[in-house]
Amino acid sequence: MATWMMYSLIVLVLWGLTGITQKLSTNHISVSLTFLTYAAAYAPVSALLLWKEPMNWRISALAWCLGILSGILNALGSLTIFAACRNGGKASVVTLLAALYPVLTIAMAVPLLHERIQLREIAAIVLAIAAAAALSYENKSFKLK
Amino acid sequence: MVQKNPQSWAKEVLVAVPTWLFYCFLSIFFFGVWGLVSKAAIDLISPFQGQILFSIGLLPLGIVTAMSKDIGTGNKFRGVSYGLLTGIFGSIGNVAFFEALSHGGRASTVVPVTAMYPLVTVIGALLLLREKLNWVQLCGVALALGALILFSL
Repeated sequence: MATWMMYSLIVLVLWGLTGITQKLSTNHISVSLTFLTYAAAYAPVSALLLWKEPMNWRISALAWCLGILSGILNALGSLTIFAACRNGGKASVVTLLAALYPVLTIAMAVPLLHERIQLREIAAIVLAIAAAAALSYENKSFKLK
Repeated sequence: MVQKNPQSWAKEVLVAVPTWLFYCFLSIFFFGVWGLVSKAAIDLISPFQGQILFSIGLLPLGIVTAMSKDIGTGNKFRGVSYGLLTGIFGSIGNVAFFEALSHGGRASTVVPVTAMYPLVTVIGALLLLREKLNWVQLCGVALALGALILFSL
């Protein structure tokens, strides 16, 4: 097996397992503590990376802002996923729904980054919206009065 | 026929939406914007630099949640263990993703393969957490996986 494929499968399994462990964590502790422990676990891995390959800190102010902003946004995304799990969301549904975020990224990239939307992406968005509706369906249907 | 005003209709919709679903949509919003910011940053920083700055970005929310009132509640040992595992799996997974790309893997192949990670969650949830999905949700799983494949091509 090619090295890159081995790494890809490792990614697949590890990211997939986070969906299980975050649900298990929020079953026992608060969303806040789950997030704190999740974030704390990044510290040793980042420290190991920095030790292995010292970082070039000379990057532009814009790069600093964008890099840190991406961390803040990802943190908020993770926090809300933990909240979804804590409030009764199933791991399988929550993880899949959250993974459909490219719908919004593409929708914003078109006007803001002047990207062109491809037919494939339109098809993906249609499927994603249908998927979101189907995944949200529970036997106890919510009805408007 | 009594006509409802938009405000009362909006209130009814919000009340009708389950809390977990509301948080899911919120996470889609934050990850969606994150995706946009990542696209903007990709030409300015390397993936390695991005990973380090990303970890620094976790700090502000970490500080806020550390001051939360409900931080001390629940079965801490198990919960904390699973929380730490979530972070470890996530961060090592991120590193492995960049390693895959730097060991000859093309983005056009690595990204679609790794984008299927929710499938591992679904299988794990059904087997280990004994979650049950109704047939509509199972159709949703298939549609979502199709969407993920198309997004990542």
